[in-house]
Amino acid sequence: MKQTGENYEEISTEDLKRLSKQAEKEAAPSAGRIIWNEFKADRPALIALVIVVAFILFVVIASLFINTSKMMETNILDYFDAPFKDGFLLGADAGGRSIAQQLIVGSRNSIGIALGLTVISSTFGIAWGLISGYFGGFVDWGMQRVYDFMMMLPMTMMIIVIVTIINNYNAVTLTLIFSCFYWLGTSRLIRSRTLAESKKDYVAASITSGTNPWKIIFREVMPNISSLIIVDTTLSFAENIGVETGLSYLGFGLPAQTPSLGTLIANANDPNNITEYWWTWFPAALEIIILCLAISYIGQVARRAADSSQRKSNK
Amino acid sequence: MSLIEINNLKVHYPIRSGFFNRVTDSVKAVDGISFNIEKGQTYGLVGESGSGKSTTGKSVVGLEKVTSGSILYNGVDITSEKNRKKLNYNRDVQMIFQDSLSSLNPRKRIEDIIAEPLRNFEHLSKNEEKMRVLRLLDIVGLSVDALYQYPHQFSGGQRQRIGIARAVATNPKLIVADEPVSALDLSVQAQVLNFMKKIQREFGITYLFISHDLGVVRHMCNNIAIMNKGRLVEVGSRDDIYNHPLHIYTKRLLAAIPQIDVDHREEHREKRLQIEKIYQEQSSKYYDQNGLAYPLVKVSSMHSVALPPQEAKKYSEKEVEV
Repeated sequence: MKQTGENYEEISTEDLKRLSKQAEKEAAPSAGRIIWNEFKADRPALIALVIVVAFILFVVIASLFINTSKMMETNILDYFDAPFKDGFLLGADAGGRSIAQQLIVGSRNSIGIALGLTVISSTFGIAWGLISGYFGGFVDWGMQRVYDFMMMLPMTMMIIVIVTIINNYNAVTLTLIFSCFYWLGTSRLIRSRTLAESKKDYVAASITSGTNPWKIIFREVMPNISSLIIVDTTLSFAENIGVETGLSYLGFGLPAQTPSLGTLIANANDPNNITEYWWTWFPAALEIIILCLAISYIGQVARRAADSSQRKSNK
Repeated sequence: MSLIEINNLKVHYPIRSGFFNRVTDSVKAVDGISFNIEKGQTYGLVGESGSGKSTTGKSVVGLEKVTSGSILYNGVDITSEKNRKKLNYNRDVQMIFQDSLSSLNPRKRIEDIIAEPLRNFEHLSKNEEKMRVLRLLDIVGLSVDALYQYPHQFSGGQRQRIGIARAVATNPKLIVADEPVSALDLSVQAQVLNFMKKIQREFGITYLFISHDLGVVRHMCNNIAIMNKGRLVEVGSRDDIYNHPLHIYTKRLLAAIPQIDVDHREEHREKRLQIEKIYQEQSSKYYDQNGLAYPLVKVSSMHSVALPPQEAKKYSEKEVEV
């Protein structure tokens, strides 16, 4: 037995590389490939993906060419210009400001905040849930009491109060304020899966192999719940677009001179605008509906890719 | 000195209830067991499900928190985590799990799985490590292709052998095998068991073999301990247990081994029913008022049985006479 074992030491590095490549070809498809196959099998979701990606790219690039401060100047002569009048593609609002331009810059702001919020709150929530669920015992107890306390706070009111107290805030600080409150749901979800996952034998095997707890949490357990993470993050992105929009609509979001989807929809507060000047709020509302719908389609594909029994693609 | 000495090991889980979530009771998974494992031998731990044998095994590798008692490894108590760290304990003591699929991380390639203990305990260069993994794969009879494959691409027997390759990677002294073959079909069982015996001869590994399959235990083990409801009911050599069982629980377990002997089918059935009858009649005698086994009494130098007090007296008197 030992002799045959020693034969392997005569394998050259090239052989090793060749064998590695060969073996790698036969390896199971990666998560990325599975998701892509799933997109190909679901046409509406593929269209949704194209819409979302193209729209975000368009908004980001186009807003680079727009001079925001000039755009936000009041021009009384263009008061409620209808679409296609005076070169306003989507008309103008009460201040004679271009709706189309506001829509582009506003979308960039809103999506940027939603994206930042998703990244920060999901990262924090995932880490919180993983650590709490894996260690259990007193650590879990303590972390869950912090969670309970945060859960108890009236979220929207707290944000409004903080925004009112702080005088100088911009998109970045607003994102951070939101992030303080929006990691909660994610953390509970991740914790529950971690509790189940960390009881499995492969974690015990890693412990007996002498791997340290942090490595087990982030390199062993986390990849195994990655499907859940992807689904949750995608869906919470759609939700987070609504967070900033809703608050700006109430007048507590971004400052007045910074356009966002919420401030555009806030135009609908005026009954006149609803009936006569529909172009001031309608495009923004439509955009939110399409965007959230598209993202939730994408989320469903991610969900299906995560659960092999739901998959539509045969591969 | 024995390789492992277990003294009065207890693992209790608290049951919390009531308004203040106080500890009202405890589940006595393992309730005061003692035995020694000698170097190079295979020690069998047998019992029905829920008897605490897996918990004992997990305590030995350090996965379970021990309530009281000690486990001495070469004279050092390894129930404390500090001692385990100091000794690099898991380099010497590894575990083979029952469920081969769940014991392998589905997101990791076989190379990473087998190399995991090597990376933690032996700091090898990349090439050396790969060579070691290849040699381990060769020892367990898998080809090089396995290196980059994932656990779900293998059959049950192959996966169990991967688990074994991981367990033997650091050349451990003791391997706790927790029902390593109970999830496999018979032909594969034999293959894995013979393979475990072979590496035992080659590397001088000691096994703590946990199983409920008495046929398998007979094939593998030199010494056997029978466990029931968290306590040991009978400890002895293979011959003691299989040919001279004294405790009614052991007799009942042995009667449960299926026999392939069609001509005497009725006789076997009769015998089994008789043993079951005796068990039903005498179980109150062999267990105390809480339904637990009595303390072990030495019957011969190797053989100990949890006999009821009256019978235990006979043996202790005999010992005095001798």
